[in-house]
Amino acid sequence: MSAADDNGRELTGDDALAADYVLGALDGDDRRAAARRIETEPGFARLVERWEEHMAPLAAGYEPVEPPAAVKSALDQRLFAASGGATTPRKAAAPAGGLWQSLAVWRGIAAAAIAGLVLVLAVPLLAPPPADEPAGRLVASLAPQESNVHYFVVYDASTRDIGLSHVTGERDSGRDFELWVIEGDTPPASLGVIPAGSTVHLAVGEALRRKIEAGAVFAISLEPAGGSPSGQPTGPVVAAGNLREI
Amino acid sequence: MTPHDITKLIVRTSMKDRGAFDLLYRQTSAKLFGVCLRVLRDRAEAEEALQDVYVKIWTKADRFAVSDLSPISWLVAVARNHAIDKLRSRRASGAPIDQAVEVADPKPGPETVAVMTSERRRIDACLDELDGERAAAVRGAYLSGESYAELATRHGVPLNTMRTWLRRSLLKLRDCLER
Repeated sequence: MSAADDNGRELTGDDALAADYVLGALDGDDRRAAARRIETEPGFARLVERWEEHMAPLAAGYEPVEPPAAVKSALDQRLFAASGGATTPRKAAAPAGGLWQSLAVWRGIAAAAIAGLVLVLAVPLLAPPPADEPAGRLVASLAPQESNVHYFVVYDASTRDIGLSHVTGERDSGRDFELWVIEGDTPPASLGVIPAGSTVHLAVGEALRRKIEAGAVFAISLEPAGGSPSGQPTGPVVAAGNLREI
Repeated sequence: MTPHDITKLIVRTSMKDRGAFDLLYRQTSAKLFGVCLRVLRDRAEAEEALQDVYVKIWTKADRFAVSDLSPISWLVAVARNHAIDKLRSRRASGAPIDQAVEVADPKPGPETVAVMTSERRRIDACLDELDGERAAAVRGAYLSGESYAELATRHGVPLNTMRTWLRRSLLKLRDCLER
């Protein structure tokens, strides 16, 4: 039990706290405090994720045990009973608030995930879509416009959900990226400010749905923190692209 | 199911694709139930926790895309963190601690989800560099989610000793993994 062979080095500060958290050794109060910091402090969240990566192989020690079928039925009841279909009880609009903030603490998208996303889009669906599903999925690569800002946009017509993945390009401090949809000659309509370094989902209302399905263009502009004060783009367009059906 | 297949299912789940979610459940629920059982050591609680875990996966699958973890590691982290949270809140509320359900002790058994083999060899090699008792303590602490206080009691050492001992082991482990 002696620690004499350890060269006197110690884990300290947040690094030690992150290790304690991932090991699962913090008591209730300290664990809750650490969990709150993960949601609000990107630097601390990164330390935690690094420890998660280091310790992940230990999970091989968990022996798989088949759960009883009743668990899945109860789960389906909880998630899907109210809507009776493929929609979600938590509408995609929920991100306005807590989720956006907490998502913002996660770091930039992993290349592997992007590869996965592209593949998902390229492969046939495992389950056939419901017969009444409107137009399928549309994808746009919002390519840099005199910037290095690059996003992927996926629009799912069946759930009227826009998924947005950050690829490259950082905003200046004190500025925000705002997403716009532009149809023909009409003024751009805002889909909201895009949180930093994240993959997010935006709900699409009826008016925007028609624009999108009519073949609108997406654009991202650089705006003051919190988004355009006027409701129209005020800063330079840093990325733009057309939706394509896949 | 390769990790890549699991990645696709998680990404499609984030797009609220219920078929993908069902398949993801079929492919991964045994592993995650194993996590819940091992941490909670109570079948009914583990079943309830497993439901909570998949509710989280359904609602938070988009977070996976911005994580650097492998898909199975990410799913295990969701399950493990939730089970440990439940374990802590149970103990705080004074409910019985040891409704001892026999849960097999961890042993290097065959993995049904074929993942992480090279990472696993690396961490096994690094754990081998710790002395046997320390390696076992790190594994045991990670798998059970016991607090430093509980681990100290079980090992019969002061809490600070336990914490120092495990943290130094983790530091050595990280040094080894980053070499």
